[in-house]
Amino acid sequence: MHFHRRPSWHIPEREVTPERVFLDRRAVLAGLGFAGVAAASGLGVARPAAARPAGEAWTPAPPLDPAYADAGRAITPEAVSGSYNNFYEFGTHKGIADAAQKLPSDPWTLQIEGHAARAGEIGLEDLLAKMPVQERVYRHRCVEAWSMVVPWIGFPLAELVKWAEPTSAAKYVRFETLSDEKTMPGIRQSWYPWPYVEGVTIEEALNPLPFMVTGAYGKVLPKQFGAPIRLHLPWKYGFKSAKSVIRISFVEEQPMGFWQELQGSEYGFWANVNPEFSHPRWSQAQERVLGTGDEAPTVIWNGYGEEVAGLYKDMDLSKRGLWF
Amino acid sequence: MTPAAAARPDAWRRMAGDWSPWHDRGGRLSPLRGGVFALALAPGLWLALALAGAFGPLALGAEPIHEAEHLTGLWALRFLLLSLALTPLRRITGWGRLAQVRRMIGLTAFAYAAAHFGLYAVEQQLQPLRIASEIVQRLYLAIGFTALLAFAALAATSFDRAIRRLGANWRRLHRLAYAIAVLGLAHYALQEKLDVAEPAFLFGLFAALMLHRTPLGLAPGRAFPEARILGAAILAAALTAFSEYAWHATLTGLPAERILAANLDLAAGRPAVLVLAAAAIPALIPLGRRLLSLARPREIAHEAR
Ligand code: HEM
Repeated sequence: MHFHRRPSWHIPEREVTPERVFLDRRAVLAGLGFAGVAAASGLGVARPAAARPAGEAWTPAPPLDPAYADAGRAITPEAVSGSYNNFYEFGTHKGIADAAQKLPSDPWTLQIEGHAARAGEIGLEDLLAKMPVQERVYRHRCVEAWSMVVPWIGFPLAELVKWAEPTSAAKYVRFETLSDEKTMPGIRQSWYPWPYVEGVTIEEALNPLPFMVTGAYGKVLPKQFGAPIRLHLPWKYGFKSAKSVIRISFVEEQPMGFWQELQGSEYGFWANVNPEFSHPRWSQAQERVLGTGDEAPTVIWNGYGEEVAGLYKDMDLSKRGLWF
Repeated sequence: MTPAAAARPDAWRRMAGDWSPWHDRGGRLSPLRGGVFALALAPGLWLALALAGAFGPLALGAEPIHEAEHLTGLWALRFLLLSLALTPLRRITGWGRLAQVRRMIGLTAFAYAAAHFGLYAVEQQLQPLRIASEIVQRLYLAIGFTALLAFAALAATSFDRAIRRLGANWRRLHRLAYAIAVLGLAHYALQEKLDVAEPAFLFGLFAALMLHRTPLGLAPGRAFPEARILGAAILAAALTAFSEYAWHATLTGLPAERILAANLDLAAGRPAVLVLAAAAIPALIPLGRRLLSLARPREIAHEAR
């Protein structure tokens, strides 16, 4: 059953925004055999040019993965999604887009650490050259009960993990966000446990769904989304998807996330989207769909159960709500 | 206007005095009341226009209803605190006419609280069962709802006839305003994700106002008003810092000691520091008066009379 393609919240065609037009162009490329799946064989891999500033057009356009061409809902206009960002390094409210333009996203180096054969440093451009860069349209569900749909450019996290060659000692993958006091005013709020950390199990990381995002809306990733490279885990609440990642570690212990450390009763390690399990202050049964004024029912695993439900088949859903 | 009232201009004046927001009780045009009325309407008017899209689709951000819900909640609390500030302000300025705007400001606070609840109801798709079940399940909503009920009781008894009929009980009933402020502040703090700096700031202002209702505070005939204002500001700031510390030490995972220590960094603009500044500034009025009266004793003494 293609759960994520026949969702209850499917929107009628007439509500689809003009962004569809730009995606259709990609869909043609995909149809011509440039799909992300083909990327593994080396075909149709979009190679980014050398370092480019955030927000610039991503050329040539990467192929659109046909499995994720349509999120079942209109793409959220960039003016909306790009002005509503939880990015505490730049401020505790969501209007941080202007402040985030100071983020030093170019050039960028990733540290690969821990139990992996390829532990070491790699420049983002070098990494991108090795990865099957593609476009995927994902639904994003924030723990605050709002959601959006964004066409990301990036590559599957699984490809990065395979390339890094983790050893059997690696049980979790830990992501760390840049923490730079000079450009990020939030870091001066010394009572937060900077840097921002998040993590997933190695099994979750090897699932094809997690996406390392380096672009959005056909552009090099605008800074407020977490330039130049961020994680997106579309079946988990948004805070799990660390922004502006500088360090990826293969570790034995479950990493302690930024929010989990601050308020474990509200922000668990798993944080899988689950309409049955309320936040202490609000129901998670519905979500406010950004840019529409409408509400939609929230679906377990944010509708990506086909891809990820198997990861949790041994867990007791009723007790843990996939939360802790 | 009835023909009889038209025939008697006095009757019209009295009616205007009772009901018109820009007349005083004597039916004279009152710039003070008119100005406060405009001030009371302005945020609501702006919000209504913004919701109607008059300032573009993103004037209220990506979630306009949600943002408007937050802003109306804030204005409700701000106007409520302003209504509680009138007595101390009157004592500082000696401006007795401030009493003429108290009811208007209180009703404004209620109107914003009612709009706040209305917006919440819209956000919950106007489904009564859903709204009720949320209110009973979430402590912060139950607190807000209690505050709103009390608020409604005050609004319903804010008309001349009710005031006359309730007599001494009216004053007792309307002391609920303090309880509403406490509940509103608790509701505000509880709905925060983690950092309670903003509710702590309003809490500090409320604490300063309450201190002026103790023997330490301002009152007619008490000496050294500037010292009393300053003292209340310092105490309120200390209470703010302590409450913020206690909140985080018991309710959140934020390191409470660090937040307490951050108060020493004045530039960080922590709530205790802002409370100190905001609650101390009115001391300039009696201080200025005193300096002026030292310079020109007779003239000022004459004016004050
Ligand atoms: C039935 C009554 C009420 C309901 C259902 C209600 C509901 C809410 C909700 C849903 C929020 C936002 C929470 C969030 O986004 O996490 C909120 C915030 C707030 N409410 Fe209420 N509320 C009620 C009564 C009141 C009253 C009576 C006051 C004031 C005296 C008040 C003042 C506030 C304030 C100041 C905020 C925070 C605004 C901000 O974000 O800065 N509320 N309320």
